[in-house]
Amino acid sequence: MNEGRTWKGKVIFHVDMNSFYASVEKVYNPSLKHQPVAIAGNPKERRGIVVTASYEARARGVKTTMPVWEAREKCPDLIILPPDFEKYRAMSRQIFELLRSYSPLVEPVSIDEGYVDMTSYFPAQEIGQVAKGMQQKLLEQLGLPASIGIAPNKFLAKMASDMKKPLGITILRKRELPEKLWPLPVEEMHGVGKKSAQQLRRLGIHTIGDLATHSSTFLELRFGKKGRLWSERANGMDYRKVDPESVHEVKSVGNSTTLPYDVEDKEELKKVLKQLSEKVAKRLKEKEVCTDNIQLTIRYNDRRTITRSETLPDALMDARDIYNQAVSLFEQYWNEKGVRLLGVTALDVIPLSDASKQLDLFTYERENKEMKINKTISKLVDKYGDDIIRRGTIDER
Amino acid sequence: MHFVVDRRIFVENVQHVNKSISSRTTIPILAGMKIDVSSAGITLTGSDSDISIETFIPKEDDENEYIDIFQEGRIVLQARFFVDIVRKLPGDKIEIFVQEQFATTIRSGSAVFHLNGLDPEEYPVLPKLSEEQMFQLPQNILKNMIHQTVFAVSTQETRPVLTGVNFEAEDGVLTCTATDSHRLAMRKVPFETTSDDLIFSNIVVPGKSLNELNKILTDTDDPVDVVITDTQVLFKLKNLLFYSRLLDGNYPVTKTMIPEQSKTDLELPRKELLATLERAFLLSKEIKNHVVHLRVLENNEIEIMSVSSEIGKVKEKVTCEKVKGEEIRISFNGKNLIDALKVIDSDHVYIRFTGAMSPFTLQPTDTDQMLHLFSPVRTY
Repeated sequence: MNEGRTWKGKVIFHVDMNSFYASVEKVYNPSLKHQPVAIAGNPKERRGIVVTASYEARARGVKTTMPVWEAREKCPDLIILPPDFEKYRAMSRQIFELLRSYSPLVEPVSIDEGYVDMTSYFPAQEIGQVAKGMQQKLLEQLGLPASIGIAPNKFLAKMASDMKKPLGITILRKRELPEKLWPLPVEEMHGVGKKSAQQLRRLGIHTIGDLATHSSTFLELRFGKKGRLWSERANGMDYRKVDPESVHEVKSVGNSTTLPYDVEDKEELKKVLKQLSEKVAKRLKEKEVCTDNIQLTIRYNDRRTITRSETLPDALMDARDIYNQAVSLFEQYWNEKGVRLLGVTALDVIPLSDASKQLDLFTYERENKEMKINKTISKLVDKYGDDIIRRGTIDER
Repeated sequence: MHFVVDRRIFVENVQHVNKSISSRTTIPILAGMKIDVSSAGITLTGSDSDISIETFIPKEDDENEYIDIFQEGRIVLQARFFVDIVRKLPGDKIEIFVQEQFATTIRSGSAVFHLNGLDPEEYPVLPKLSEEQMFQLPQNILKNMIHQTVFAVSTQETRPVLTGVNFEAEDGVLTCTATDSHRLAMRKVPFETTSDDLIFSNIVVPGKSLNELNKILTDTDDPVDVVITDTQVLFKLKNLLFYSRLLDGNYPVTKTMIPEQSKTDLELPRKELLATLERAFLLSKEIKNHVVHLRVLENNEIEIMSVSSEIGKVKEKVTCEKVKGEEIRISFNGKNLIDALKVIDSDHVYIRFTGAMSPFTLQPTDTDQMLHLFSPVRTY
């Protein structure tokens, strides 16, 4: 294996954990090993849709987003577990710690994948061997399988890690694009969504190669900035750096929930919005950000999905304010048909230090009082911990 | 219907009436302008059902003869086309006549247009308002009152009543108030009334109507009669009637919001303050709420500061005529203060603070008939 030695430019790894949630469960419960396992949301709360399936389950036809009943039909002995995000987050921290022992330039993308800039290893060490070592460490020390993509930039590394799963190591060079990347259907391209793919196909662009050879000016005119980026990336160009800080730059904070059945009852849907608003508020608080742009997502039972958002004059962060805004959007845009999924997202979040709120002439006295209460609560929580005191929920107030 | 009219006066009137016509109307006939020719002159009517405008072009006045009337009659023409046509016609005179099936011919100089007209019978009749509640103001004063308040109306439909200006009358004083709940503009003026002790309140005229009206009002002291009913307001100018729907709902009580006492009083030159804020605004308009920070220094000075973490920071001192009371640091929406300073005429202004987390007032030094109120901004 001598091929890694003629590399030019950067060496970027994309490390992608294989069926992460299921793999973590197997670490905690070794008896699950070699069993078909699916994580499917707390049946009470998240209404039975497969979030992750182990490779054993996948081999039997179980897919993510498949309803539980269908998964059971395909694989009667399927072991279905509720997700335990505490567990996954703890594991995720260990993964990134391990990656940082290779290079300080680690950029987590999500709980189970990240980029590592490995340029400094080259050309002293054979890069395929380094990757193999990394993969083995992840497997032996943490018990988790990962696929690693190696390329001169983030986009190609990401595409490479997708090429062989599980436990793959794929090196993708620019000169190999015509044979390795271009034959792939355009849906496979990272950054091209389902909708965009449909539009591209209608324009006769079926493969990543079609995208690469299409006029970038045309793509930009038709799709905007992302059109130009597709064209660049399909040609193997991606100028983004591996940025260890990017994970801290939160841009939006959202929560959504799939409903167990099609809900047409307004009060019930408002209850769901309330729960979502509280979750979003909690996460905003954790990240110390607020937002002036709330987005509502409604997916109807015919899979048609709408998102509606509105920029507000003032930034907000309270569960109640988020809820009020979500309900206002909901009442404007819900067409009274059955709803399958609801989502509430805080878009364009800004750090609290940059945010301000213009007081209302009619209600400033009450607002100032609320502000004092919130500050007092924060102080108490800082001093005595989370459980000492809490505001009532939206209902109780 | 057949007449020849002086182009200049016709175009002027057509453009006035056109301010009330919307192409996005739900009632198709309202996309048209109604032309009604009698032996006395031409009446033009337009309406979007919120605003209605009717103008009258007399056949002649003391100095001029404007119209040659050959045959009386009525027609409704698609405003979208009609307005542009008359505006661009080449001659000094315009001839218009209607034949069978509302077929209308417009002729001027060497140009001839044929337009398909609409049935004038379908056009709704403007309401006849009872003129019990009426008062009179010179046009320039009404124009000023509107100019000095309407900028402060809310542009958000969350509280529709705040998208209008509230008219109130008591003890021979008319008060106009506008607020978007972050700033408030109030202007008072004594008025003449035909009915003794005229009292009314909660007459909320949509900001949009007033903006259109202000384009028609002139800077002269020609009188305007204002007729008020429960659902409509009518502004009567010479040869022009401007109707507007009133907004439903109760306008919030604003009198009690204006602080009676203050803790810190400033008197300072208006233009310098405006220029300073506009400079601070160069940075602050990039961030949310256009926040600027004001701090009272020693030696009758204040400091205006604006920070944007990405772009930079600006600081500037302004020398006041007078500073009285406690020291204060306060943050507020600079754009709102700029808007208000622009509608004030006096050389100096008073700013009165009642605390960093309470509203503050801005007033000209030469009259107590105008007041602006602002809420501060709270940083987290």
